[in-house]
Parts: sequence; C-alpha cells; structure tokens
Amino acid sequence: MSVLANSRYYFMKDLGAPALMKLQELGKRRRRTESTVFGPALKTNKRLKQLLSRHYYLARFAPKNKPIAWVTSGAPVELLRVFGFYTIYPENHSALVGARKSGSELCSIAEEAGFSQDLCSYARIDMGHMLSGKTPAGKLPKPDLLFCSNNICQTVLYWYKAMAYHYDIPLLILDAPFVAEEQSEADIQYLASQMEDLIPQLERFTGKIFDAIEFESILTRSKETSLTWRAVLETMQAKPAPMTIFDAFGHLAPVVSLRGLPVAYDYYQLLLEELEDRVAKGIGGIRNEKHRLIWDNIAVWYQVRYLATFFAERGMNFVTATYTNAWAETTGYLDPKDPFKSMAKTYGQIILNKHLQYRLDLMKHMIRSFRVSGMVMHSTRSCKPYSVGQYDLRKRLAKDLDLPSVIIDADIADDRIWSESQVLTRLEAFCENLDGADHA
Amino acid sequence: MPNYCFAGVDVGSLSTDVVLIDETGTSLSEIVVATGVDGSTAARKAFETALETAGLKEAEVKSVTATGYGRRTVDFASQHTTEISCHGLGAHLLFPNTGTVIDIGGQDSKVISVDSKGRMLDFAMNDKCAAGTGRFLEVMAQRLELSITDFSDPINVQGEGVQISSTCTVFAESEVISLLTKRIPRQQIINGLQRSIVSRIWSMITTVGLEAEVTLTGGVALNQGLVKVLEERVRSRLNIPANPQTVGALGAAHMARRRSGSV
Amino acid sequence: MGVLPALYPRELLWAHDILPAEIWDPPGELNRANAHLQPTICPVVKRSLEFMLATSDIVNTGYLIPHTCDSLQNLATLTKDLIRIHPPIRTFYNPKGPFTQNSEAFYRQQLKGFEQALAAEFGPLNPEKLTAACELSQRMDTVKQQLARHRSRDELQLSNRNYFRLIRAGEFMVPEEYIALLEDTISSRQNPMGSRIKIMVSGILPPDDELLELLDATDVVICAEDLLCGNRRVPLDQVDLTDDPLRFITDRTFSLPPCSTKANSLQERAVYLNKLAVDAEAHGILFNLVKFCEPELFDHQALVKHFKQCGYPALSIETELGSRNQAQLLTRLEAFLEMLSQDRAV
Repeated sequence: MSVLANSRYYFMKDLGAPALMKLQELGKRRRRTESTVFGPALKTNKRLKQLLSRHYYLARFAPKNKPIAWVTSGAPVELLRVFGFYTIYPENHSALVGARKSGSELCSIAEEAGFSQDLCSYARIDMGHMLSGKTPAGKLPKPDLLFCSNNICQTVLYWYKAMAYHYDIPLLILDAPFVAEEQSEADIQYLASQMEDLIPQLERFTGKIFDAIEFESILTRSKETSLTWRAVLETMQAKPAPMTIFDAFGHLAPVVSLRGLPVAYDYYQLLLEELEDRVAKGIGGIRNEKHRLIWDNIAVWYQVRYLATFFAERGMNFVTATYTNAWAETTGYLDPKDPFKSMAKTYGQIILNKHLQYRLDLMKHMIRSFRVSGMVMHSTRSCKPYSVGQYDLRKRLAKDLDLPSVIIDADIADDRIWSESQVLTRLEAFCENLDGADHA
Repeated sequence: MPNYCFAGVDVGSLSTDVVLIDETGTSLSEIVVATGVDGSTAARKAFETALETAGLKEAEVKSVTATGYGRRTVDFASQHTTEISCHGLGAHLLFPNTGTVIDIGGQDSKVISVDSKGRMLDFAMNDKCAAGTGRFLEVMAQRLELSITDFSDPINVQGEGVQISSTCTVFAESEVISLLTKRIPRQQIINGLQRSIVSRIWSMITTVGLEAEVTLTGGVALNQGLVKVLEERVRSRLNIPANPQTVGALGAAHMARRRSGSV
Repeated sequence: MGVLPALYPRELLWAHDILPAEIWDPPGELNRANAHLQPTICPVVKRSLEFMLATSDIVNTGYLIPHTCDSLQNLATLTKDLIRIHPPIRTFYNPKGPFTQNSEAFYRQQLKGFEQALAAEFGPLNPEKLTAACELSQRMDTVKQQLARHRSRDELQLSNRNYFRLIRAGEFMVPEEYIALLEDTISSRQNPMGSRIKIMVSGILPPDDELLELLDATDVVICAEDLLCGNRRVPLDQVDLTDDPLRFITDRTFSLPPCSTKANSLQERAVYLNKLAVDAEAHGILFNLVKFCEPELFDHQALVKHFKQCGYPALSIETELGSRNQAQLLTRLEAFLEMLSQDRAV
C-alpha cells in the first residue's frame, strides 16, 4: 500500500469528500414545494444522500489503500470489517441503477453477452457493469475478493461464481443450511466453523492478524446499528406512521452496506431522533392516513416514486414490510461475547432462509402490531425465494386474518418489466376493495 | 442449351421461392409465389413455373434441394437442408467476402457466420417471437396506418427515435398506441421501432460475432430505413442482394449442385 | 417414496427397504400448479407440484425434497407448510460448498439426522442392511461408469432415445434389477459400425424425444452426457467401502462431478466438460437448458463462451419439457448437425 495512495484516501475521506458534498449542495437550486399528499420530507434524507454518495465516491480512491471485497447483503460483513476491507454491495449498486432507470441498459449488455433475460436483474445489471464498466455510480473499484452467503438465495452463489471466473479472484462462501423446521445444532456448528475457518484465510489474504477485541467491538456496533434500525421501523407503528415504507427502502442502505461502521450507527440515531420527534408531533409520512398497508418482497426500484404517489393520493401508507425488517429481525441472537455461534444463529435464520410457516407467522405478527388492513405483494421472477409461495401466503392471510390484498407483477431493477395498465388496473381494484371494506 | 440443371426450393411460411441453376452455377430462373395454406402445392407450382421460364423440362433437373420451414413437404426434393446453411451459402455466392449473414424474414430472423468457402461457423436464431422479424414491421406499420414502403423510408430514421422498451411485439404495439395517444410524432415512433428491431438483431450478432463483410438477406432487406440503422450499428456498408428474398433458394440450388458431384 | 431432484442419500432409503421413485418431469397438463406458482417458475418444479397435488390421496409414503435450488427449496416448504398436502414431506440439505472438514462433518450430521427420521417412521435400521446398501451403491456406480465408457466409444447398440430411456429407467426400478439391466446392455455391446457424428449433451435432463428422434434419424450419437439426472450423480472414480457406511456415503457425495447447483467453480466445470468431450471424441456439445433454470443459465454463459473460444461447436436449446411440434428447435438442431458434418463432407 503506497503512502501516497494511503494519504490520498484519507484526505478524500475526511476533507475532500465532505468539501465536494458542500460544493454540490451550494450548486443546487432547491425548489421545495409543499406536497399535497406526502408529509414534509425527512431532514435525514439529506444525510442519507451524503453518506451513500461519499461511500461510492470514496470507492474510487480505495483500490490501492484497502483490499476491496464485493459482498452479498446477507453475509456477515463483520468478518471483513475487522480486516479493514472496503466493501461494495452489488445488490445495493443494482438497486441504485434500477432506481435511476438504467437497469435496462446494463441488463441488455449482459443479455447480449449471453445471460438469459430470465435471470435475476440484480445479477444481470452487475454482469452488464462487469462487462462494460458502465455505471451511474461513477466507477466501481474492481474487487480483490468476493464474499457470498446463500442465506438470502442460491442465485447469489451462481452469480458470484460467474464473477469469480470473470475477475479471476477468490470467492469465499458461507453456506447457510435452509431452516426447514428449526435451526439445528449441526446447522449452527456448520455455520460457526465455516466462519472460524475464514479467519486464517483472511489473515493470509490481507497479511493482518485477526484482532478478536476489535472484532467484538465491530459486532457490538453492528448489533446496536441493527437494533436502532429496528427501533426506526417500530416508530411506524404510530398512527400516523412518521414515514412511508418507500422512505424506509432508501434508509435501508446503511444497515446493509455500512453495517459495522460507526457512520451507520450514527446515521440511524439521527433518523430515529427525527422520527420520534415526528411521532410526538403527529406528523405522518403521508398527509391523510386512511389505510395502513404491508408490502411484501423487494421494492420495484424504478417505480418507487410512482407507487408511493399512487398510494399517498389515496390516503394509503405502507407502514411495514418483510424486506426492510430482514436486517433487524434476527439481531437479538447476536452476542459479541460468543461471536461465531451467535452469528450462526443471526445469519442462518434470516427470513428468506426459513420455511414459509415462519414467514406466515411473522407476517401475521407484523400485520397485527402495525395495525395493517391491506397488503400489496410484488411478484418478480428475479427473486424466487421471495416469490415462490406468495400465492399461498396471500390466501392464508385472507383466510386467517380477512386481509384484502393484491399481487402486482413487476421487477426489482429491470425497468422494461412494467405494464402500467396492468398494474394500475389491479391496484385500483384493490383500493376500491379496501375503501369498500370500510363502508361494509 | 444446358444439359441439366439443379433446383433449390425454399418453402417459407409466407412465400415459396425456386431458383434453377445450370451445371456451371449460372442462374436460369428465379420464381417467388405465395405459400398459402399448402407448401407442397406452392412448391410444385413455383417449380413448374421456374422450369417453364427457363425453357426446361423436369427430366432435365438432376437434383433438387428443399429448404425453409416447409422443406419436408417438398416430395420431389432429394435432399432437405436447413435455411441456415442455405442462406449462408447463398450469401457467400453473391458476395464472396461475406463473413456475417443477417437474414430477416417474415417470421424469423437469424445471423450466420460463414467462412471463406461459405460454410457455417456459427449461427443464432430468433425463433421464439415476432420481435425482430418482418411480422413485427407489418404489425407496427398497420398500427401507424402506413404502407410498409412509407414505414421503411430512410428519412424516418434520422435523429433520435423514441425508446420502445417492450421486448415483445404485443406489448410493443400497446406501447405504440399509448405513444400515439400522447401525440408523439409518428416519425419518432417509426425511428424507435426500427431501432428496436435492430436491437434484437444486434443481440444475435454479439452471440455469433461480427466479421466483415456483412450481407443482409430476406425480404426485410428492402426496408431502407432499417438498413440505415443497421449499417450505423455494425459500422459498415451492408451487402444487399438484388433479390434478397431468394438467397435461400439460391443456396439450396448450389447445395444440390455440390452434392451431385458436379462441382 | 417420491424423490424430487437431485442428490439424496439413496443408501439410507434402500437400507430401510424404501424404493425411491424419482420425480423429474411428470407428464400431463398443468392445472392445479398454476394456482400456486408463477408462470416464471421452471417446469420441473411446476410439474412436480402438479403431480404431488394430483396424487395427494394415493401417494402415502410421501416425498423427499432434497435442497437443490431456490425453487425446489420453496416447493418443499410450500407443500409442507402452506398447502399442507396429505403425504408427508421430508427435506434434506445438501451442502453447497467444497469438501472441507466442516462440510464433511455437517453432512455426516445430516445423514444421521435423516436416518433417525427414517427410523422413527419406518422402524430401526439394520446395520447389515446399510452395509449391503452401500455395496449395492458402489456396484451401481461401477456399472454406470462402464456404461458411460462404452457409450463414449459408440459400442452400445442403442438409439439415443433408448439410451436415455435406459438412463432414466433407474429413476424407478429396483436397484438390483436396474443393475442387471445395465449389465445386460453392456454385455451386448459391439464394436462401432463406422465412425459417425458424436455429440455430448450437458444439462439437467436429456433433450426432448423429438430432438432425440431427429438425431437418431440422422445417425448422430450422443456419446457422453453431463446431466443432473444422469452422470452428474455418478462419481468420477470408485469410492472405497470402509466399515463406516456414513463415510462411504459422504465420500461418494463429495466425489461427484462438478454441477451448476453447487459451488463448483466455472473453471472446474469447463475442465471437466473439456475432458469429457476429448475422452468421448465428441464433435460438438449440446446444452439442453430447462427454461427458467437459474443455476444452469448462469453457468451456461461462461461455458458456451469457453467452447466457442476453443473453436468447438456448441448449440444451446431451451426446453419447457413436454412441448410438441417444435419445428424451430428442430431446425436449429439440424443446422448444427449440418455444421458438424461440413468438415466430413466430400
């Protein structure tokens, strides 16, 4: 690691980037118009933008200074943090690309190279970037190492294998056994021992010695960050909920990609403060909260604004989601004093790695505690673990809780997959149903 | 007067073409008829017309190779060869430096890479849906209330077209309708559609690899607007046969000749 | 017991006198399955669900759904926890990672746990039966390896259609009888008639019947296969029997060829397929992809590229299983065969 590159990175991190952000701020002419359907914008949104811009901006300077790892969203990143890796989350990057409606372009590049259009769009976008270098995030540093856990899906394993082949770099895998009933001792032991074995591998790779004390404090920070995120989500139990789930989709980014770093914890403290303040003052994410809904599956990143507006106009707010909850749900298992076993329980039991009865029970619990009266399920071929079983989850919730619901077919990041007339028809019918239920 | 000749019969879903060549490989006649509902009958009719035009009798035909979708219905053919091989060879014969053949037919489209002898090296086919074929153009021209000729005018592909995001013909049609409703100028829509077809073709080109020279065959080769967009995309002039529709039958006729040991 | 794709400890089932009846692509119309699964779910999973729903009152020994991919993973919990079909559903997690002390230990635990579950349902295990089952398993592997060798030399007098019928007969036959059938086939081998065009196939299942018929009609032989229903479940070398049956089962599992559903690197797969092609003297490779099959589609991109870069003819075909009248697909296959025979032509 050259001294010059080192200094350049730290300069950028502490002085350069913040200065650039400030300049950009001054340069923008902000026209803040009061929305008629949404509540006032969260002040913390600005901080989120800064955080993420800085993260991607700094990524350009990281290469010579720190080893770069590309990581799946469910992987125990704390193992990399203790070795000082700079981490990039391709899923987060793909979501960003999707939100900018640049997904179709990168997907096309991947498809022209031979990747089927039936594959997960996060992966196709990533492949498109891998092959062309194109990205709205400026420039992503080439990874030195890949870290993948299949606790969110098996697809990431196939995807990361393809990346490892293309970049010709090591791929570290954390194989997380699917929990068909209860997580067994064998499952825990397997996960824990895999993680323990990663330590010497990472030591060899980075030339650093594992610092158990530092690791404990990173885990503590991680846990506190996730718990704060959980508190953030719980503020939405208030009536009216202080933000919308579409806001939450954005605020999710730090706990996914910056978890374990102090900056993520500080961020959520800030956000929590603002939300608690709004709860106290009765300020809602939307102005007229008539119905409270639950969202299932990942966001339709390229239509977040459209969907948020559609529902807000009808006085409907999404106050909870299975997706955002995933980074808060199993945090209780994490015990920094018993790192590997507790990480095995935390990371091995996230929602997509567990049977559907668990998911059904969890959804029922969320529906009750957030006082939800309707559900929108996003069905996408890009995410099989989420989508396979939705039809029956919907039926069971209708039967057991009398819950009105609708399924819309779209995608997570491929903006070509959008049939406005079809989606609109279904959503309008759903809204009529909900409103009708009121008058029943 | 030649002693004997060879015939290539291309039974497509829309048209059936027959090409007769003599033992030196010179074309004697080229006939195109509509396939209608019975490819076998159309093949026979086209064959007889081709013979008449060339002033020959059936007995003087040494060998017949059938190709195209309905090749197996041609009962008087001694061989059946896929239209992929035949288009590849046909394009090579017309333009010997051909490295890549792009065939855009009524119902399917394909890209074929050929070597210096006209033999196939690799190919890709769009055989699952109408997007990227003549059918797509027909549907869209109709929707825009234009003749194919007007639709194909190269003037329509100038400048930027509106982005057509649907990959499926049916959904693309809906998209066109909604664009018309939003009063987007027809020219921009045509531009977008032409570019959309080229995108489908481009996918196949990247699969197979682009090698100069590029020859365009199939009825859609007469669509000048599309040719212009395609030339921009491949960054070179395209070779366009005088009769782009009969290239398959020409290739088949030459296959018949080669096979019978007359080369 | 109905067993869905793909890897499972058959020795344990045999030891309990349970005959696994593998379910890969049950025929028939899809009616009920569409109410539970989106259109973009692979036909293997859809057809399996259809079968399970249609036979729910008949099949009482239930199913084993090993963990192979996301869709099968969710199919297991869907049928067990939400739809709650009548016959019992059992699951078995196959470690995805490479062979290490951890994965080996974990796998042994899985075997023990599975064995206990079987014992609880079907009665205690007779250790001698397990030993016998392992011996049988080893014998079956050996015969299958021999079969593959003879096929690669084009010594079996079997059309492509019948060859794959033979391969797939193992999905439901009593193991001893199946071994006898294979041995019978091997004993009637002959030297090849002449040299004909040889291709190898890679995928989950063999090509549809219509395509196999075309290959038979044009005298092309599929000389080697890398199919999940076939040779991807046959170890590369003989696995030693020890006095620890679980050791055998574990070793066997970890010596299976590389597969898209596991963590085998693309490099491993490319090397394996290369060797297979060279040993069998195949002129080209056919990738038979099941529509929506994610593991296969991901690996496929790099593998096709690899072969094409080596100047080795490769054709990819996507199947929805059970489709008829596939004129376009047949044309593609024909064109591919024409390509392969160009160099051999006068």
